[in-house]
Amino acid sequence: MNNLRRNLKAVYARAYVRIVGMNREPSWVVFTIFLPLLSVAAFVYVYKATAPPEIINSLLARVIIGGAMLAFWMNVLWGMGNNFYYEKELGNLDLYLMAPISKTSILLGMALGGMFSTTIRAIATILLGAVLFNVSFTLESPLSLGLVFLMTLTSLYGLGMLFASLFLMYGRGAWHTANLMQEPIFILSGFYFPIKFLGFFIALLASFIPLTLGIDAMNQLLGGSFAKKWSLLPVNLEILILTGLTAVFFALAVKALNFMETMSKKEGRLTLRYM
Amino acid sequence: MSILKTIKYSAWLGWEMDSNWTDPFLFFLYSIVRPIAGTFLVVLMYWFIKAPEDLFSLMFIGSIFYMYIFNVLFGVSWVIQEDREHYKVLKYIFIAPSNIYLYLLGRALSKTIVTTIAVLITGVFGVAFLGVKISLTNPLLFLLTLALGLTGIAAFGIIMAGVSLLTARHNFFIGESLAGLFYFFCGVIFPLSVLPSWGQIIGKMLPMTYWLEATRRALLGFGDPSLSDMPDIKILILLVAFAIGFFFISILSFKFCSNLAKKKGILDMTTWY
Amino acid sequence: MQSLAIETRALVRTFKTEKGHITALDNVNLKVKQGELFGLLGPNGSGKTTLIKILCTLLYPTSGEAYVSGYDVVKESNKVREIVNMVSGEESSGYGILTVRENIWLFSQLYGIPDKVAWERIDELLKLMGLEERADTRVHKISTGERQKMNLCRGLVTDPQILFLDEPTVGLDVNASRTIREYVKKWVRENGRTLFLTTHNMMEAEEMCDRVAIIDRGRILACDSPSNLKKLVSKEVVLELETSLFDGIDLPYKFSIEKNLAKNTAKMRFLLEDESVIPKIISKLTENSIKLISLKKSEPSLEDVFIQLVGRGLHE
Repeated sequence: MNNLRRNLKAVYARAYVRIVGMNREPSWVVFTIFLPLLSVAAFVYVYKATAPPEIINSLLARVIIGGAMLAFWMNVLWGMGNNFYYEKELGNLDLYLMAPISKTSILLGMALGGMFSTTIRAIATILLGAVLFNVSFTLESPLSLGLVFLMTLTSLYGLGMLFASLFLMYGRGAWHTANLMQEPIFILSGFYFPIKFLGFFIALLASFIPLTLGIDAMNQLLGGSFAKKWSLLPVNLEILILTGLTAVFFALAVKALNFMETMSKKEGRLTLRYM
Repeated sequence: MSILKTIKYSAWLGWEMDSNWTDPFLFFLYSIVRPIAGTFLVVLMYWFIKAPEDLFSLMFIGSIFYMYIFNVLFGVSWVIQEDREHYKVLKYIFIAPSNIYLYLLGRALSKTIVTTIAVLITGVFGVAFLGVKISLTNPLLFLLTLALGLTGIAAFGIIMAGVSLLTARHNFFIGESLAGLFYFFCGVIFPLSVLPSWGQIIGKMLPMTYWLEATRRALLGFGDPSLSDMPDIKILILLVAFAIGFFFISILSFKFCSNLAKKKGILDMTTWY
Repeated sequence: MQSLAIETRALVRTFKTEKGHITALDNVNLKVKQGELFGLLGPNGSGKTTLIKILCTLLYPTSGEAYVSGYDVVKESNKVREIVNMVSGEESSGYGILTVRENIWLFSQLYGIPDKVAWERIDELLKLMGLEERADTRVHKISTGERQKMNLCRGLVTDPQILFLDEPTVGLDVNASRTIREYVKKWVRENGRTLFLTTHNMMEAEEMCDRVAIIDRGRILACDSPSNLKKLVSKEVVLELETSLFDGIDLPYKFSIEKNLAKNTAKMRFLLEDESVIPKIISKLTENSIKLISLKKSEPSLEDVFIQLVGRGLHE
């Protein structure tokens, strides 16, 4: 019981740093809400310039959903995956490892804090995007949508926790790996065009990235008949797979974290800084 | 230390800092995968929608030359963040006898060289496999445009570096956001005429729009139809003004920002969370 | 019999480097009693930090065993973590964007300290360290000394049974160092806690510790109370010379040199078995064109014990 309480406190404390840290500099509103919308706008206008009118609303809805979910991907890559590496550089990692808590709590704290602040950015993107570009969403099943969103986030942040564990070992090389993964995932997750366009098998492979299935399901639930025509799998099946991915990523993350911690302690690399 | 020496050493330092985590081949691969993937994303959108060939070529050239805007402009402003909070050497660079402005210029140079390689590779890929027809109708216009544009972009990067001296970690988003701003308003991946009229006005006020237009004209023989009433010479004059103007503004603004940072005592702040 | 706070048995730690293996700890056997102020004195790179890292569960030993309050640091690391905390003099931990108070609170939560207790302790500690006015200042704005005091508050806020201090006063001014030493000493005595201090500052070790172990190149050379250790050199004469700065000199005696580049002088400390060699030393200096500024006999210190055991000074 004591142990659980301690770990929960650790989760809360680490999430607090994220939320307070982000909100403490007022400039975050401009930088994390208004300006990123411009990237989304650019892709909106690609379709405005090229797409036939009958499918344009569905495509714009996809771009806006993609833009909102992209915020989570960026947060997972930069705020989760890389964070243990940054904690190491800052000198905090030792203190986390020395504390009588599971390291998973620290990752969970980061994830919850990151989810909270990123959700604000994502909601803003959807609302502003819908208003500014006059896009209508056809909300079919709020419950399914809620479930898809939740399971996408949990599996995505599970993946982030796995990244964090792996990056703990590889330091600076990992930072660059994250950098390298940024754009290819934009392509493979179907942020801005239906992933099925790349062929069923590539889409299936891409489904290991939780965003792919999440974005596909959200588009089916919000983007009308054109989105359904290009859908990958039925929504319920996608929810099921996402739930499975959550469990798998989470378990792998815990395992990887323990393994990396043991290896690092054996090799004495935990406190090595790559300055 | 002479001006050239400072720039040379800073460029070398930039290369070392960017690439010392891996062997040169991997770094090379890394440097080109990301921008190529960025371009390919738009390529796939155009393919998906079966857009006309000319529009595709305009988008392709805009997209690959936009790499300079993203890498050099964002890269130079990121130098401040990285040197201040990660390597914690910013204060030592400030107290060194060499000029910090030249140091940043050197760092911009190393990023420009790496980006040029990525631009070349993506360009060759586009011509070989994606059906982009480069005619290079006006090599002189191309070279002049490239030189003027890169000067202006590096200077812009230094202006943003100055701003970074005063801002927290959100600077990460400044780069992303500014990149988004230019991506949107400069008609990088779609013709300007698609934008609402107010957007077109903003786009036509941004020097990067004309830089991309001149590059397209020089390489493809045609440009964005909505800018067709601008003769080449007028665009060149604009680019000269952009390069010289931003160069001087960058010197003054960086000086102002660094003085302000010193006054506020935030030259070596850390804002990670 | 008093129970042991720390015990190491034949502890060895090696690191793999490009040039082969280096031994950071070589057959270290130590026993620290509960309630003791224990110091580990040695030059940079002697293995002090490696030992602390093993005892704090941050690093595994290559071989041998280590126990903290009877718990095995490898097999029972969670039990160890509940009762220890560590503060390092060179640490830059914390989040610049949080305030001093928030930073300490954050780390207290990792130990499950109830909020109310944590805030009370934080305020009390900040007051005792003279940091109360900086409590709501963001960490990136405080000075090195203030940061070091904040780190100490972080280490104390969990009220650990055993506190590890790794060079806690390195880089601090005299006043800040004194505040930290005095407070820690008082805290250990009043609460029956144990202190494990590593330092290369012999004054600090002498002033703070009940017992001191001397370590060099990973080996424990001696371990006793400061007064007993000094008895190792009680028969020797300690001679302190201040001279002009010089590159190097070969003398058949045990001595250390501390150079002062700012003043262009050098301080030589000789450990002599016989006073009669003093004129020989002086004439050797003169032969090498080294100017003698002052000469005095002094009391033996732990530095002399180190010279006696190792044959060179702590700072060389």
